[in-house]
Amino acid sequence: MKLEGKAKMLRIHFSSDDKWQGRPLYEAIVERCRALDLAGASVFQGIEGYGASALIHRPHIFRIAASDAPILVQVIDTEEKIQKLLPVLDSMNFEGVIAISDVEVIRYTQDATDSSR
Amino acid sequence: MLTTGPAKKVVVYLMEGEKYHGAPVYIAVLEFLFYRGIADATVTRGVAGFGADHKMHTSRLVDLADRMPIKVEFIESAQKVEEVLPKLAAMIGSGFFEIQDTQIVVASSVAPAAQPVIRREGKAKIMRILIGESDQWNGHPLHEALVESLRANDIAGVTVYRGILGYGAHQHIHKGTALSHDAPILLSVVDSEEKLRAYLPVLDQMVKQGLVALSDVEIIKYTHNAAAEDRRKEPRS
Repeated sequence: MKLEGKAKMLRIHFSSDDKWQGRPLYEAIVERCRALDLAGASVFQGIEGYGASALIHRPHIFRIAASDAPILVQVIDTEEKIQKLLPVLDSMNFEGVIAISDVEVIRYTQDATDSSR
Repeated sequence: MLTTGPAKKVVVYLMEGEKYHGAPVYIAVLEFLFYRGIADATVTRGVAGFGADHKMHTSRLVDLADRMPIKVEFIESAQKVEEVLPKLAAMIGSGFFEIQDTQIVVASSVAPAAQPVIRREGKAKIMRILIGESDQWNGHPLHEALVESLRANDIAGVTVYRGILGYGAHQHIHKGTALSHDAPILLSVVDSEEKLRAYLPVLDQMVKQGLVALSDVEIIKYTHNAAAEDRRKEPRS
């Protein structure tokens, strides 16, 4: 896969509590990204935040199963590929923010020989 | 910061049990005033009263004790009061507020010390570097080596984030649990385009696999207390 120059970054914000068919929503989204052959996706968990509902999301201090933390899923790919993901996200029907911005890809590599290790 | 002379006094009358975005309305109002930099504010709880609904609220009736009148008072310059009024009006629900002209006779003498700061504002670039937690460079974790190399190259700042799930060019799923060392890592670097481009050759020889993307940002605030000791000069443990 090759990716360089002008591209788009899609960022999706929601809660770690959000589920899709009984599984964490972020896992389901990463799976969809892979199925669509997108260049990559990363999931980050925030420390604190609030969103449209204005309720503060704060993970439980002991990180037990029922914790409510903000989640950010970040995907970088060409505009065309990102546009393919949008209807899929739409059909998953969750509450959250989806934002797209311009990026310039400097480097996107897969080192076959893996000489760095 | 209040000075002696004419000012405005605002008194907000609220009901104790009312909520704003899930929090008691008087706490929400107080926090709003605090973060807007209002000079001072005081909350007083009444012992009895009645409001627009014409129901008597007294602390003698246990079931009505959470409906006591609450008063939030603050004093500020006319201009500052003008700034906070629209939001305040939207927050108070069934409450109301009044504004009086007042005179400050003796101003509080606690003044925050002014510190010299370096400021840079305007157009800049954000560079995001996506790598894996287990990536190494010369026997050190790559993200640590990158932070050190960015610092050595006088780049304004970098923050490292550890993700919980992800995949990249090699389609291998990284899952970061508390014990594993295979999480996705994001380094977010902000500086001028010129400085970031000058750093790219260094980055190129360090990052063997990963994604590097640049995008525009507008710097709203970047300050550094020049009077404080330069932390770079401190010996590193």
